[in-house]
Amino acid sequence: MTKFLNSKGKTPLLLILYILSMPFLSFLLRAGKILDPPQATITGTVTQYTGVPLAGVNIVVESKYKGAISDLDGTYQIEANADDVLIFSMVGYKTQIIQINGRDEISIQMEEDVTALEEVVLNAGYYTISDKKSTGSIAKVKANIFDKQPVNNPLAAMQGHVAGVNIVQTTGLPGGGFNIEIRGRNFLNGVSDPLFIVDGVPFNSQSLGASRVSGQIMGGSISPLNAIDPNDIESIEVLKDGDATAIYGSRGANGVVLITTKKGQSGKTRVEAHVSTTMGQVSHFLDLMNTNQYLEVRREGIANDGYGDLLNDPNYDFFWPDVKLWENERYTNWQEELIGGTAFRNNYKLSLSGGNDLTQFLISSSFQNETTVFPGDSKYQKANIRSNVNHQSENRRFSINLSLGYTNENNTMPTVDFSTKAYTLEPNAPKIYDEEGNINWENNTWDNPLASLDETYNAEINTLFANTLVSYKLTTNLKFQSNIGFSDYRLDSYRSMPSSARNPGLGVTPQNYSNHTINNARRTSWIVEPQLNYKKGWDLWELDVLVGTTFQEEVSNQLVQRGLGYPNDGLINNLTAAETIEIFSDTDGEYKYNALFGRVHLEFMDKYIINLTGRRDGSSRFGPGRQFGNFGALGAAWIFSNEGFFKENAALSFGKIRASYGTTGSDNIGDYRFLDTYSVTGNNYNNISLLEPTGVFNPLFGWEANRKMEVALELGWLKDRIFINTSYYKNKSSNQLIGIPLAATTGFSELTGNFDAEVENTGWEFDLRTINIQSNKLNWKTTFNLTVPRNKLVSFEGLETSTFSNRYVVGEPLTIAKLYHSLGVDPQTGEYTFEDYNGDTDITSTEDRQWIEDLAPTYYGGLGNSISFGSWSMDMLFQFKKQMAYNTLRFVATPGFKGNTPESLYDRWTQTGDNAPIQKSAGGLAGGQDLGALQRDSDAAISDASYVRLRNISLNYRVPSSHSDLDFQVYLQGQNLWTWTNYDGPDPEQPASTRLPPLRQMTLGFKISF
Amino acid sequence: MKYFLLKYPLEKLFHGSLPKYYHQLRKVHLIGMICTLCCCTDFVEIDAPKNTLVSETVFQDAATVESALANLYYNLREGGMTSGTYGMTTVMGIYTDELDYYGFGADYLQFYQHNVLPINGIVSDWWSQAFQLIYATNDIVQGVRASTELSSMEKNRFEGEALFVRAYLYTLLVNLYGDVPLVQTTNYLDNNNVARSNQDSINNQIMEDLERSILLLNSMEPVSTEKIYPDEYTVKALLARHYLRSGNWERAVTISSELINLFPMESDLNKVFLKDSKETIWQLKADNDFPKNTREAQQLIIQAVPSQTYALSNDFMNAFEPGDQRLMNWTRSISDQDSTVTLYYPYKYKAGINALESFEYSVLFRSTEQVLIRSEAKARLGELEGALADVNLVRSRAGLSNLIAHSQEDVLEAILHERRMELFTEQGHRWLDLKRMEKAEEVLGDIKANWKNTDLLLPIPENELELNPNLLPQNPGY
Repeated sequence: MTKFLNSKGKTPLLLILYILSMPFLSFLLRAGKILDPPQATITGTVTQYTGVPLAGVNIVVESKYKGAISDLDGTYQIEANADDVLIFSMVGYKTQIIQINGRDEISIQMEEDVTALEEVVLNAGYYTISDKKSTGSIAKVKANIFDKQPVNNPLAAMQGHVAGVNIVQTTGLPGGGFNIEIRGRNFLNGVSDPLFIVDGVPFNSQSLGASRVSGQIMGGSISPLNAIDPNDIESIEVLKDGDATAIYGSRGANGVVLITTKKGQSGKTRVEAHVSTTMGQVSHFLDLMNTNQYLEVRREGIANDGYGDLLNDPNYDFFWPDVKLWENERYTNWQEELIGGTAFRNNYKLSLSGGNDLTQFLISSSFQNETTVFPGDSKYQKANIRSNVNHQSENRRFSINLSLGYTNENNTMPTVDFSTKAYTLEPNAPKIYDEEGNINWENNTWDNPLASLDETYNAEINTLFANTLVSYKLTTNLKFQSNIGFSDYRLDSYRSMPSSARNPGLGVTPQNYSNHTINNARRTSWIVEPQLNYKKGWDLWELDVLVGTTFQEEVSNQLVQRGLGYPNDGLINNLTAAETIEIFSDTDGEYKYNALFGRVHLEFMDKYIINLTGRRDGSSRFGPGRQFGNFGALGAAWIFSNEGFFKENAALSFGKIRASYGTTGSDNIGDYRFLDTYSVTGNNYNNISLLEPTGVFNPLFGWEANRKMEVALELGWLKDRIFINTSYYKNKSSNQLIGIPLAATTGFSELTGNFDAEVENTGWEFDLRTINIQSNKLNWKTTFNLTVPRNKLVSFEGLETSTFSNRYVVGEPLTIAKLYHSLGVDPQTGEYTFEDYNGDTDITSTEDRQWIEDLAPTYYGGLGNSISFGSWSMDMLFQFKKQMAYNTLRFVATPGFKGNTPESLYDRWTQTGDNAPIQKSAGGLAGGQDLGALQRDSDAAISDASYVRLRNISLNYRVPSSHSDLDFQVYLQGQNLWTWTNYDGPDPEQPASTRLPPLRQMTLGFKISF
Repeated sequence: MKYFLLKYPLEKLFHGSLPKYYHQLRKVHLIGMICTLCCCTDFVEIDAPKNTLVSETVFQDAATVESALANLYYNLREGGMTSGTYGMTTVMGIYTDELDYYGFGADYLQFYQHNVLPINGIVSDWWSQAFQLIYATNDIVQGVRASTELSSMEKNRFEGEALFVRAYLYTLLVNLYGDVPLVQTTNYLDNNNVARSNQDSINNQIMEDLERSILLLNSMEPVSTEKIYPDEYTVKALLARHYLRSGNWERAVTISSELINLFPMESDLNKVFLKDSKETIWQLKADNDFPKNTREAQQLIIQAVPSQTYALSNDFMNAFEPGDQRLMNWTRSISDQDSTVTLYYPYKYKAGINALESFEYSVLFRSTEQVLIRSEAKARLGELEGALADVNLVRSRAGLSNLIAHSQEDVLEAILHERRMELFTEQGHRWLDLKRMEKAEEVLGDIKANWKNTDLLLPIPENELELNPNLLPQNPGY
């Protein structure tokens, strides 16, 4: 033992060895079993209430660890003693316990469990708990939700389904990213991403993209979660409150998202093939000026600048080519040209599953090819293979589950998102190609947008997940289990910029311009989490205790380099041909994490439940002595509907009050921030490169703390056909890690340290589920969720002197924008006017930006309906959000500049006395201040961006088949089909004019299995 | 190896409330302990990343310490009080009677017009940069002393250079700001609220640093033949300057004499500022790529009128005696197109931005200054003959006749004048001279309309007073 103790870094290795040897241990134990008495073979058929055979029902002989599964035709066969008891169970059906009483044929009908709530088992990460007994706030999104949505990223499929979770798609391009916030923004700095765990392996969701390579096309963000095929997901659980997240300690502050992939089903080996085609288009075009309007405003603007005379002088034509050199009658709808295409996605998936009651497997592979709405042949391809094997020993003491997933993504997009060009290209801009089909430069008077198709952007991403979960029942009550996980994420991307893609008038050559930027990044991590679980029940008590420990290590590195200057453009992809190679960043990072966690769950009389969780975490991100932190939570529930006085109440079928309080933390602040470091600056003295002190030793660098409180009421009526869950939460985040200004005498201007600022998130969440109609043929269910969040910066000592003084205000949310207050256009001067807060007759940056607008949603939610009638079923989800957002004035507020603008700018001031919303046009040639720039930063540039969106609709038809083994389904799905909004901009979900908005998509697919 | 127990929250929350189950919890506790036998702080300790070095590692290898030192010299050349761009050369030039300012920078105008505000950007930049480098020198001194891998030769050299830089920065800080904080550790918690020390204790520290530095650098082989690293003689040059300022005349004479012998004055005025000038004691090497030569030349040489930022003042130009060769060799004039305006600019550094090779480096210490130090020290000691001889040494190189003076006051006056004409636009000597000789009010009172006695010290940067109230009170007059 002492040797074991001293072996330091080798302990995880020893643990793995120990765990791997467990199977042999279990076989040894099995060898000594006592011979069974003589057996009888019992057969029968399991059917639904309607008489339809039911496959996959689990049949267990109570006295032994032995069981069988009903086949597709509902038949089963099992060996048991004449006096034994059979237990029939299946998710969604009531469990039946049947005495054999010497019979050799037992056929039964399974009764559907109407409430089904008891059967909903929530995965809380280290443990599972039934929805009814849960003391915490855990939302579950099931496979049927993912199966019905034609999306690429699991986060996309969750939009609108979960209360308290705000997900925003950042680009309509395939392979792009998402922003996700669970119960609001907790921290002033750093990311709001929750902790993602895929089949037990923490998955770093931070992009390794480099903005130099993918900034202009993906915004630098490439979501690693794209590697997970939504169709492979069995369920996603979102852990929201302290009770559910405290067991994740320092990583639980922003919530936890648990992704569980599908597993094999026992029974006959089944093959499932799934093919679908999706068409996607931009759902909304902006109303832009036509050529006449545009040229009118242009001429007016140039005249207003005082150059009206020169406009008629041919010598100055090159100043305003759009007005003087290009055809004035020409009109191109550039939105049609550049983002008006149709994106196709083809999906092929093949899976094989089966097994017996001891071993089940699932192997699936899929391939996806997706194009864009842009011109050119850009595409995104994804190939994915996944397998899951589950095995347990015959005595059911030992079990092992192996899940493996490998994904290859290949993303070849243009180097720039054409959306900006589509909104701003002059309506009379020249044609793209000349008569010979070459790129038309119109005598070098414009930058042809399609020339950039000569440039290449490519990102290749390989993601590997592997996780093994082994468990062994030491005694009836005590179980040992451990997961051993590994993940490897590689991103190799490049961007080539040949000189041929640039206007020849610029005189660029391969030698002085052509460049090729490469980003090679990799992140690997492993995790081992051995656990002991003790479960015991008495007459009135149920006890469930868990103790475990975590070892995790993550190593990442990134190299971004650029080759500049090539003999010719053909060699651009070869770095060795470059004249100079610049290294932009060559970084690596290591993160180690160690924890001890535990849980005590106690139930009394099925009415009173206490759940106690705790975690002690150690992270390499903090200084010596500050590496460890304690976190914990207490959750309690009272199922008052189980009290004697409620039993008689027919209407109320379930009632529970639960409350929890817990502490979590965040170490999501980057590695090595506490160290006193020297960095290479790139400069030199006498050819000796410099090392500059860049970090001051900060041993006090500690965790960000987060305290979560929640109270909830769960009520079910009419056998839970109406179920309402209402919760109120209050989360306080303190000890914020931010840059604290230091006195110069320290040698540094700023230090990242814990600061006494507090952010509070409060909110109400409502979840309603109803089963409106339930019969043999017709079923109709409705779900509704609503979140009313509120974010507030409660305190921030020294905010005025800090670097955040222009961003935050105490008492206001973190999501505010500080703006000028626009007072409209002065009818006399025709210029925008603004409120002069400090009364100095000058509108200046900080003092006069006092108008505050909150850009976070006021409320949001979703309304889903699911109707099935015979072989038909239909699902639809409306998503709604009440919010303010930047409108098109944010991007341009003065008409008359070169480049098209929204048509709304045509309504401008033209003469004294005009009451117009837009100021007089300007050609952008006069010096001095452009008040339009202030208008863009004013409250006028923010307006209502609330919307109701038919996020998803799906129609499914199960083709009747004479062969009971064959299942054939055809479906039609739509995404973002209809949006109701007053928003003035491309898309209210992602209010930006530089990124492609989320697409409207239609999918036709079929699924066949036999 | 440390163990930790699951003390929180199990025990805390359960204790007392559920005593019946406590024995069971203790069992769990035990299981927990077994589980945690392998948990330890060692696991969460990591190595440093490759793009940065942990301070400790830097000092285990001579090459990385060289890099840390190179950072000091680079920063002395490019920023703060000693830089050729916005250092004392230009800024104290316009603060005194050397230069006129033609630019529009508000911070510069405050200096030029003598209404410097505590929020002045230059005031705060000089301050910040100095302490940034002082932190770096402290870390080097501390790191080198603790290092186990460096040889004693290396340790001596590195510590000696770092101590010198620290002392040099403090001499400038004390001159400009008066009482300043004496920072000798790298602990930000202490340094963040350090109070100001009085000038005497800072002067003692400077002296101590310099004396130790001389001991450490004593008879060491020069690192470079270009005199671009401070060595024993650089330290002595600063020491001589410092003795003169603190009234230790005898020692000033001894040390400057030693340096004058070792670094003979260049006889040709046009060679004084070349990079291989014999009289240079220490210079900062120019950047190899750009500008190849000095920032001073880049800053002061007027390319065209009117687009000048600085020009020599009329007052200064009028002070040249007839026949002074320095007028011819060290200044130039330029006129506008109509020849209505003629301006003079310093032409000590002649290699501008168009030079294709490195000809000149930025000189910080040269032996002519030592001659004038010895002269002044002798004058103070009453050795008027010797003092005059030294002044005449400088005068004769400039093509001027020998001076004859009788009173100590006259000799000192002559020395001040000679320093003015010899050391103009070099690291703010004029300002330091006027202060040392207590002539600032007499000279500047007439020229600068806003002159106040309190202008002898710059204000402590406003922002720093806010961040660290221990620096209060502000210097008088601000």
